[in-house]
Amino acid sequence: MSHHISTLPTLLSVAGALLVLTFLTVAVTWINIPEPFNVIVAITIAVVKATAVAMFFMNLYWDSKFNSVVFLLSILFLTIFVVITLLDTLFREGGLPVY
Amino acid sequence: MADSSQKTLRIREFPIDENPGHTYLNHEKGILSWLFTVDHKRIGLLYLGSVILFFFVGGMLALLLRTELLTPAQSIVDADTYNQIFTLHGAIMIFLFIIPSIPAALGNFFLPMMIGAKDVAFPRLNLASWWIYIFGALFALYSIITGAVDTGWTFYTPYSTQTGTSVVSMTLAVFILGFSSILTGLNFIVTLHKLRSPGLSWSKMPLFLWSLYATAVIQILATPILAITVLLLAMERILGIGIFDPSLGGDPVLFQHFFWFYSHPAVYIMIVPAFGIISELISTYSRKTIFGYWAIALSSLAIAFIGFLVWGHHMFVSGQSELSSVVFSFLTFFVGVPTGIKIFNWVATMYKGSIDLKTPMLYALAFLFLFTIGGLTGIMIGALSINVHLHDTYYIVAHFHYVMMGGTVIAMLGGLHHWWPKMTGKMYNEFWGRITCGVIFLSFNMTFLPQFIMGSQGMPRRYFNYVDQFQGLHQFSTIGSYLLGVGFVMMAVYLLWSLFKGPKAPSNPWKARSLEWMTSSPPTHHNFEYTPVILHGPYDHHKPMKEFRMGVAEESESPDVIEIDKDPA
Amino acid sequence: MANQSVATEKKSHLQHHFVDEDQQFESSKMGMWIFLVTEVLMFGGLFVAYIIYRAWHPDLFYEAAQELDVALGATNTVVLIASSLTIALAIRAVQLDKIKAAINYMAATILLAGTFMVIKYFEYMDKFGKGIYPGESYTYDGLEHEMAANFFSIYYMMTGLHGIHVVIGMVLIGWMIIKAKKGLVHSGYYTPVENTGLFWHLVDIIWIFLFPLLYLID
Ligand code: HEM
Ligand SMILES: [Cu+2]
Repeated sequence: MSHHISTLPTLLSVAGALLVLTFLTVAVTWINIPEPFNVIVAITIAVVKATAVAMFFMNLYWDSKFNSVVFLLSILFLTIFVVITLLDTLFREGGLPVY
Repeated sequence: MADSSQKTLRIREFPIDENPGHTYLNHEKGILSWLFTVDHKRIGLLYLGSVILFFFVGGMLALLLRTELLTPAQSIVDADTYNQIFTLHGAIMIFLFIIPSIPAALGNFFLPMMIGAKDVAFPRLNLASWWIYIFGALFALYSIITGAVDTGWTFYTPYSTQTGTSVVSMTLAVFILGFSSILTGLNFIVTLHKLRSPGLSWSKMPLFLWSLYATAVIQILATPILAITVLLLAMERILGIGIFDPSLGGDPVLFQHFFWFYSHPAVYIMIVPAFGIISELISTYSRKTIFGYWAIALSSLAIAFIGFLVWGHHMFVSGQSELSSVVFSFLTFFVGVPTGIKIFNWVATMYKGSIDLKTPMLYALAFLFLFTIGGLTGIMIGALSINVHLHDTYYIVAHFHYVMMGGTVIAMLGGLHHWWPKMTGKMYNEFWGRITCGVIFLSFNMTFLPQFIMGSQGMPRRYFNYVDQFQGLHQFSTIGSYLLGVGFVMMAVYLLWSLFKGPKAPSNPWKARSLEWMTSSPPTHHNFEYTPVILHGPYDHHKPMKEFRMGVAEESESPDVIEIDKDPA
Repeated sequence: MANQSVATEKKSHLQHHFVDEDQQFESSKMGMWIFLVTEVLMFGGLFVAYIIYRAWHPDLFYEAAQELDVALGATNTVVLIASSLTIALAIRAVQLDKIKAAINYMAATILLAGTFMVIKYFEYMDKFGKGIYPGESYTYDGLEHEMAANFFSIYYMMTGLHGIHVVIGMVLIGWMIIKAKKGLVHSGYYTPVENTGLFWHLVDIIWIFLFPLLYLID
């Protein structure tokens, strides 16, 4: 098996893309996108950025696919945690916990 | 694996040294060679010693609790002390004993041997995990000295943010112990992926290893949530961050979500390795190929997954939404499916087998009986309507002792006897082994069966007093617990006797087929003096023993060498 | 993609229980990825708390987030992206046996990480100055919402835990510089640098989510 060495253009263009996306995520807050789409847009951009880092900086793109599966598992189980907990917190009969 | 250009592998049979002079036990001498060893076998024994120590401490606390319950009023301790004792009993048994018990002790010892590896993938990390465990134990000790904890092992808010006891140091202990558990799991996953001997495909892996794999997956995915939970709890106490504390706008039910997101999967960290041991025992002592290999292997992974979807069955009366209660109750029933699959396959394995009622097999049978009770009552209390009545009663206490003690501890004892000759090179006394197994089985039932009855009649858990009507059953239970203690003392005696005076063990006393038996007892420092090659499954009792002792042959060796296809389809 | 590949040559760091260098390298990396999973899930717990509370109190998050300085947050994002680039360049340099360059890139990474921490420090100090402390010590009265303190508790927990990871990352990279200076890493063996890089990128990824979730609520 051989090791992957990233080329300079790859690394630089990924970094460039990340900077552009950072600007974009700030810029979209200047135009007022209505709830809940503003959150969706922000998260989408963050996911794209994170994917770029994972694939090209962390080399998942060239790596054994198992490592990608491992990483995605963490996202999957986090999603399970969030979704099932929301099943409770969003549907409480008593409404919000207040103090 | 060694040379990818070769199409064939040259193998020959390697005889086993029945009188090994040089073993892992005398490879190096001195206490430091143990405390700083990177040998997985020695680390396994360090863990074994530690968990036995904490089992003893936890057990003594349990006997104190049972003694207090001899009379309906105060017997020996007051209410606050009682609260501290049951909290310590629970926390020690869960975090210091049962979570590391099978994986870190027996698993550490046998996982590399069963795949023909010289060690786990990260030996130094393995040692670190034991030291971190000890460090965590010291934190727990510190907490006990500085006021102990009286919240129950579950640390529920808001009480845990208000009580004057030493919660922060105990939560930090739990945090550290979790880290140790993560390192063990991480090591096992990588070892199983990367260090299997030639020919040891996933389909030829002993089922104990499948169960450790599933366990490791749970350890990796669940333990970090425990870490952040106890960290937030500590912050809640130190800074008052108001995430879990209702008086600051927080939500105590959210704490329970966080806690059980770890702790329900954690009950599978406890029981799944036990399932693995039972698979080994039942096949070996029935002298029969395991029935439904893949069903058993994959049901471990299924349990690991489903185990993440059901945590709210601990929260039916917590005030969580009705919707989530219904969903959690519904999902809980699914856990029974893969568990049932295992039980049926074990029973089918025994069918028409030539069953040899050696001590380990007696434990396996005891497990089948006790765990089935524990599991079935689990399904019952998983039903929302029934749970509302039984929650926080002795019925729950009986349920989880049937699964944790009747399941995990009994299986661990079976495994301990099964592998004792391999680990120590000595045989234990079969007669006393069987008698003791009988004593433990009977006294266990004496202790916990009455608790089902009391619980169903409304005896609440975590109280040091009770109404008079329960006294008879409580006393029966307490006497049972004393007998249980006697059983463990008996075991300690004959095992220690075996250690010093026992007859020498042959390399494979049980005629088992998996790799750990294909080297001397006790094993040498590197486990095998050759690179093992695996031709058959670990339960192929019908194949000649010779074919299980194959290893990679050197270039120069020409007689007896067989050439095999390297990657048989 | 025009990316080159080279096979490893020098044999030196092989531990006895591995068959070859590649098996060892792949094992270490898999171990690191599994460790990163535990990191994601640990931070994940905080994200869950964030999501639950934001779903309960959207107005709180909108109001309180206005106290955070978008410019500083954005600067820090850029700083961390730059540091991710420099650590990736450092790994590339080690792979090409340009150890000097690698050391320089790693030093740059530490410098950028330090910049991040300094900016964070000023942000925290600005908040403390106003009485925005975590938890019960909160005294600021510039916000209407009665649960304003809870938002900042979540903010401090998330950025605090992240900050601790930045510091750990700095220590690790510093250690790698020492290793490189001693000639312990090279094209044939650079596992520790690779794994440190993975850790550092994860720290970056987490910030990539923290930034919009905390600073950019409009
Ligand atoms: C068939 C599988 C199982 C099912 C359906 C099941 C179900 C349940 C339910 C519904 C509860 C909550 C009862 C209550 O507090 O009201 C519970 C409690 C408990 N179970 Fe199980 N269980 C199963 C197996 C296990 C296993 C294998 C273990 C451990 C090895 C275990 C350990 C526990 C513990 C420790 C508690 C009590 C926690 C506490 O409140 O302190 N269970 N179980
Ligand atoms: Cu449960």
